[in-house]
Amino acid sequence: MRVFKPQEAQPAPEETMGVAAWIRANLFSNVPNSIATIVILGLLASVLPGLIDWLFIQANWSGNTQADCTNDNGACWVFVSAWMQQFLYGSYPTEELWRVNTGLVALILVIAAPYALPKHLRNTVGVPLFLAYPFICAALLDGRLFGLEFVSTDYWGGFSLNIFLAAASIIIAFPLSFLWALGRRSDMPFIRSVCVVLIEFFRGVPVLALFFMGSVMLPLFFPEGTNVDKLLRVWIVLILFMSGYMAEVFRGGFQAIPQGQYEAADSLGLSYWQKTLLIIFPQVIKVSMPNILATFIMLFKNTTFLLIIGIFELLSTTQTALTNSNWLGGHAPEGYIFVAVVFWVCCFGMSMISANIEKKLDTSHRN
Amino acid sequence: MSEEIRAKASSAGSMLNNPRVRAILYQALLLFGLGYFFYSIVSNALNNMEARGIKSGFDFLFTASGFDILMTLVPYSATSTYGMTFVVGLLNTILVSIVGIFFATVLGFLIGVAYFSNNWLIKRLSVVYVETFRNIPLLLQVFFWYFAVLASLPSARESLSLGEVIFLNVRGLYLPDLVGGAGSSIVYGSIVVAIAAIVFLKKWAKKRQDDTGEQFPVALTSLGILLGLPLITLFIMGVPFTWDFPELKGFNFRGGITVIPELMALTIALSVYTGAFIAEAVRAGVQSVPHGQTEAARSIGLRENRIMSLIIVPQAMRVIVPLLNSEYQSLVKNSTLATAIGYPDLFTVFVGTSLNQTGQAIEIVFMTMAVYFVINMTISFLMNRFNASVALVERK
Repeated sequence: MRVFKPQEAQPAPEETMGVAAWIRANLFSNVPNSIATIVILGLLASVLPGLIDWLFIQANWSGNTQADCTNDNGACWVFVSAWMQQFLYGSYPTEELWRVNTGLVALILVIAAPYALPKHLRNTVGVPLFLAYPFICAALLDGRLFGLEFVSTDYWGGFSLNIFLAAASIIIAFPLSFLWALGRRSDMPFIRSVCVVLIEFFRGVPVLALFFMGSVMLPLFFPEGTNVDKLLRVWIVLILFMSGYMAEVFRGGFQAIPQGQYEAADSLGLSYWQKTLLIIFPQVIKVSMPNILATFIMLFKNTTFLLIIGIFELLSTTQTALTNSNWLGGHAPEGYIFVAVVFWVCCFGMSMISANIEKKLDTSHRN
Repeated sequence: MSEEIRAKASSAGSMLNNPRVRAILYQALLLFGLGYFFYSIVSNALNNMEARGIKSGFDFLFTASGFDILMTLVPYSATSTYGMTFVVGLLNTILVSIVGIFFATVLGFLIGVAYFSNNWLIKRLSVVYVETFRNIPLLLQVFFWYFAVLASLPSARESLSLGEVIFLNVRGLYLPDLVGGAGSSIVYGSIVVAIAAIVFLKKWAKKRQDDTGEQFPVALTSLGILLGLPLITLFIMGVPFTWDFPELKGFNFRGGITVIPELMALTIALSVYTGAFIAEAVRAGVQSVPHGQTEAARSIGLRENRIMSLIIVPQAMRVIVPLLNSEYQSLVKNSTLATAIGYPDLFTVFVGTSLNQTGQAIEIVFMTMAVYFVINMTISFLMNRFNASVALVERK
């Protein structure tokens, strides 16, 4: 007689979920991996506590002068807080700072306008406001046009100047680079070669050389006796530099548009500009938006190069503060960390936005 | 009706509707505008230069410069000409570019590959590295290394040393120098011969594999040739090399090779910054290879290391190389930041000092721009050649 013999129960499967399993799979999967993990953890353990101690725990937070930095084992953040106004606004007069703040708020509004405005107002109100922003903002900071107190560009500075210069340049570079990109695709040989030379020139030359061109060569090109403001010359150089790079971005965008779109627009009987602005441009913007933002991040970081020709942007102000006779305690690490964090937050934030837009605009026309 | 249309067609209004006529008109307008623009800036420039007493022309290149340069690769003194200044600056620029490109590539590939590690910590560190250094302005990084890190190194007497051979202090990095005696050129020559032999061997092995299907261990043989041939010549010639070690004499080190802190700071900053971008390019390149490629390679029985070298890397290179091209070019352009810390590159000595002394802005700025243009064209040419060798060859 056969007797039913149940099979032995199998052991529970190896754990594949939970903390322990995750650690085993990702940190200690084999011998070299385990060694690497231990070495990295050891390094972090030897560096991080001291760093955190210096940065936060033993740091000097309150006070106004160098004498308030009593603890030598910690960072002297008093240096940053004492110079904060200079770092943000340069030597712009304190009682007129509302103008700089208004300009910054207006920038946010102008950028947000297309999202907030009803659809039919976008092209008629949003776009002209966007394009007019640099000029209105410059007039506001300057003050003469609005009957406010005149503030010479020598006093403009700090991080707000980095933002204004970068924003004002890309806004003007937008239409200009689009024209250059169109010119590069044009059938007219002379227009095409002019655009190619322009684009390749501004892309192929170091931006510092362009800034020097703006500061030492451009004055020679203006009629005798005209004195063009230094910041205006820098702005022109930045616009041209940015246009060169953006034109290439747009060219990439144009190449991504299927030929059928042009043919369809032609068969509808649209004129060249109707076809370009109503059919092609919206699609080009869509595919090139991430690259435009990447180019803008590069421009934004490159505004620090203006230090070399004596524009008082954030890094330049920091260098001045570091050599100030009241602050000769070697605060370079604190100053540089502050500037680095400010730029990092802005650039990383923009690259996050760029990644977001890329996801949002991706309607998966790709193969 | 049809006559009406014909009548219109001959009128001047519709001449403007003819695309060909309009094209000529637009281009004529542009030509006229550009002509006027150039005419006015040239005449303004001539007037201005006359008013300020600036000479024009390239005669200044043959006059004595009257200033010394911190670091020169060729003999140079204050009595040398501005032409010589140009050469010294150019060589220093090329030096920092080549060293920077080398380290940026090594760093970039290491960090980029680290992203694909199955160790979570290594992967995170790679991401943190890229996101940190990519988003901080390069000039700030240069300042950080120069003013915050290298400036806080110990003085010459308390130098950090590695086996009493390599020294590091606030004045720079001191390395031993290899001095070649009689017969050293033959050893250098044997290295060239070895490289030529390897190229030849690779071609022969490929042809043999194409013809007969037999494989030849190219990598091992190449390594053997590359190490063996120079070593044999080295011993035949009786080791015609001596080391020149740096030594502390008085307040400073003598002998060996000195790497000035300006060069160090600039090279570190350029390599670290560009390395972050290259790492991103490498990551994008490897990710662009579909996983199916690995699976297909496994299913036809390739070993894991052969999958990497024969299947993944060649396909990833197609994406990586064009990106590398533009990163190398931007590294060269960014090397102009030398002027912020005083490393004597072309920009510092020529656009900085020479322009200040001679005032010949137009000549100097254009010469400098042309140099960077030529360097970048050369990089572009070489990388495009390289790109053509890795590009997808499609059936015609």
